[in-house]
Amino acid sequence: MREWTESDLLYWDEKILRVAEDLGLDWHPIDYEIIDYQEMLSAMAYTGLPTHYRHWSYGKEYERSHTLYNMGQTGLPYEMIINSNPSIAYLMRENALYVHILTMAHCVGHSDFFKNNRMFVNTNPNNILDSFKSASRYVRGLIEDPSVGIDKVENILDAAHSIKYQVPRHPGIKYKTREDLLATEYQKMKEDDTYYPDLEKIPLQPEYNILKFIAKHSKHLKEWERNLLLIVEESSKYFIPQAFTKIMNEGWACTMHYKIINELNLPDGLHLPFIKLHNQVIRPHLGQINPYHLGYKLFEKIIEDKGFEEAKIIREIHNDITFLRCYLDEDFMQEMNYFSYSLKKDLKAITIDDISDDNGWEKVRDELIKNVGLNRSPIIYVDEITPENVLSLVHEHDGRDLDLPYARKVFNYIQTLWGDDVTLVSTVENEIWEF
Amino acid sequence: MSIFRKHKSIVDRAASDRGRHKKKIEKAIKESIKDVIAEESIIGQNGKKKIRIPVRGLREYRFVFGNNEKNQSVGSGGKHTIKRGQKIGKKRAEKGTQQGSGQGSNEKGDEYYDVEVTLEELAEYLFNDLQLPDLDKKQFRFVSQKSIKRKGYRFQGIRPRLSKKETLKRKIRRKKRATKMGTYDPDTDERFPFHQDDLKYHHIKPKNKENSAAVIFFLMDVSGSMSQDRKYLARSFFFLLYQFLNHKYEKVEVVFISHSTEASRVTEDDFFKVATHGGTIISSCLNLELDIIEKEFHPHSWNIYTFYCGDGENWHADNEKSLDLFKKIKDLSQLTGYCEINETYKGFADEEDDNAFGISSWATFSAWKNEEMENLWAKLNPLCDNKFKKVMVGDTEHIWTAFNTLFGGKMNS
Repeated sequence: MREWTESDLLYWDEKILRVAEDLGLDWHPIDYEIIDYQEMLSAMAYTGLPTHYRHWSYGKEYERSHTLYNMGQTGLPYEMIINSNPSIAYLMRENALYVHILTMAHCVGHSDFFKNNRMFVNTNPNNILDSFKSASRYVRGLIEDPSVGIDKVENILDAAHSIKYQVPRHPGIKYKTREDLLATEYQKMKEDDTYYPDLEKIPLQPEYNILKFIAKHSKHLKEWERNLLLIVEESSKYFIPQAFTKIMNEGWACTMHYKIINELNLPDGLHLPFIKLHNQVIRPHLGQINPYHLGYKLFEKIIEDKGFEEAKIIREIHNDITFLRCYLDEDFMQEMNYFSYSLKKDLKAITIDDISDDNGWEKVRDELIKNVGLNRSPIIYVDEITPENVLSLVHEHDGRDLDLPYARKVFNYIQTLWGDDVTLVSTVENEIWEF
Repeated sequence: MSIFRKHKSIVDRAASDRGRHKKKIEKAIKESIKDVIAEESIIGQNGKKKIRIPVRGLREYRFVFGNNEKNQSVGSGGKHTIKRGQKIGKKRAEKGTQQGSGQGSNEKGDEYYDVEVTLEELAEYLFNDLQLPDLDKKQFRFVSQKSIKRKGYRFQGIRPRLSKKETLKRKIRRKKRATKMGTYDPDTDERFPFHQDDLKYHHIKPKNKENSAAVIFFLMDVSGSMSQDRKYLARSFFFLLYQFLNHKYEKVEVVFISHSTEASRVTEDDFFKVATHGGTIISSCLNLELDIIEKEFHPHSWNIYTFYCGDGENWHADNEKSLDLFKKIKDLSQLTGYCEINETYKGFADEEDDNAFGISSWATFSAWKNEEMENLWAKLNPLCDNKFKKVMVGDTEHIWTAFNTLFGGKMNS
């Protein structure tokens, strides 16, 4: 028997929203769906989206969460909310009332973040659900089309997914078109007589959006194959801002739910378990970074030092990288007791490289930033298409080598998509490596 | 004011993707199956019992950083005191940052799933491609094989059963009619599209396929030279065989015979459990089999299959006789299988080609325990053809190979 009713939810929701308004938050209206744990597993597998195109990897994701959940390794998330207008959030029927109150307050924080952070300006929250829906319908149509079928669709999607993080990493800015770039080049040529750029080169500048580039320039892809690549690219673009702001987003939402709930004057029966749950969510994970913990602590410090209004500006203009770069300091790093570590081949063991003391904290901070969001994925760009129609790719080496077996597989996928020869240049153990 | 909705959907939306994932996993299971089939936990279980098989998860490849020294991670030390150069374990990096919903992890690393399957499902994966060879039409008795047959067409149906041919025929017919009526002019380039009414679907009906009667003889050496390990391999082999028959054929007669110096017909239970002792005279069990065939299973009415499994050592004076009897049995049987358990095979299996199975060098490696014992393997060579096959098993992993040799399935590796 559950000990809450829908009117409880309505009652607390109203109170939560009133406090949020007083705090000056500005969020998309939220639709809560009350679902059971199996539906929650499904929702998680499809990253919360009510409709999503089919692919076996989502089935795998489901099984993975299911296995972990059944083995008791992880609980299911208390909160799941998607960046849309209205925001769609999920409440799990099996949870207790205090969990729902925390979740609802937390969701307001997220929705406020989605609506205000500048990384999200191009995510199109009003139409995103429709565009996922039509993508889903398109893929289903292809699967049912006798001349295409599921195997061919999967081949393309598998390949496209392998480079789904190979998209531009600066959400929130407008990218220049080829015409814009040409115009700049002409301008430069006018100003400087000795400047002769190769204007025939494709692309003019390094192109980081490999998916879109292949969709546009491959000579062998069929129309539907191009469309599939663009669908994957669209959905990547939608998720990139979230990958970019995981720490801030969770930190902000935790800060907000804590602030809101302290204003609610919950009865002890709800407040004590809430505190327990809150502490569990923001506890540090030994040997790892818990984004909830880091984000929450950093916002807490900022509010203490600079005030809540300043914090609201920060939640608008920063992303994780700039957020950490600007606001992590020695004291904070020491308090968090962060350290960097790596696998030492000669010792065959993982050893600590640096710790957050006077000498080390900046290095640890830099390593931390290298491991935030998409910084964990290597950057690969299209350098040019040679006259023989060879797609030439370059890995922007930042000290970290590629994992070669994996890179080889992805390389093969790219070859499948491109249809002609592909080269990829990287550095492995300080030597140039070419596939 | 937020909106609260009870989720109405009764559709399990992840079902189709899970199904697809499962199919891919099944492929992976098939690939790892030969490591699993001879597991102690499986042998001797009944069909409904669930077995857990670890299967490596399907990898999704993308560009990732390797585990080199420049690729550092950062973690929180909590309340612990930490020092530079301190070793903190071996596996950490791979566990990595696994939490975080949505984005899926960028980390690589092997994921293992425990897949729960019943023995019946396992049999389904294993034996799909295999069948008893040369099941001839004989008088009497029938074993049935259940199958589903297409029969006729319907206007309603599910997509996978769409009959393209019938649908196309109907479209062509309609097009002709339209041309005649003058509503469609074939000379214009305009496409004449399919119409909902054109669609025709296959109709299916379950069908019991009736086959001739079959009897399978299981002959196992239970002499003293069959050590625990050997007996275990022999049991595994027969167990798999038995599962195969049970799975594929609803009614087959199985006769269990175990022998040392004397042979006796035993029950299924005793066959798989009986202890070993005594010397080896292979002819004893072959005689008994011929005896039983004569009394109960006339070759005109029955398909006969014989499988012998032992360590290949036989009392030397018995070899000639045994060969004769094997020959007789071969003539009566649709298929005779001879399986030798030989640990020395382990080391050499990898080097040998498939077709080198019968090469005589084998005899020289066989264990000669006793002056009076002689190995039968090489002597069986003249008998070998489609109807007489011999296989060597040295390790659990050979069992599946042996099985495929006998029943002509495709190798799944």
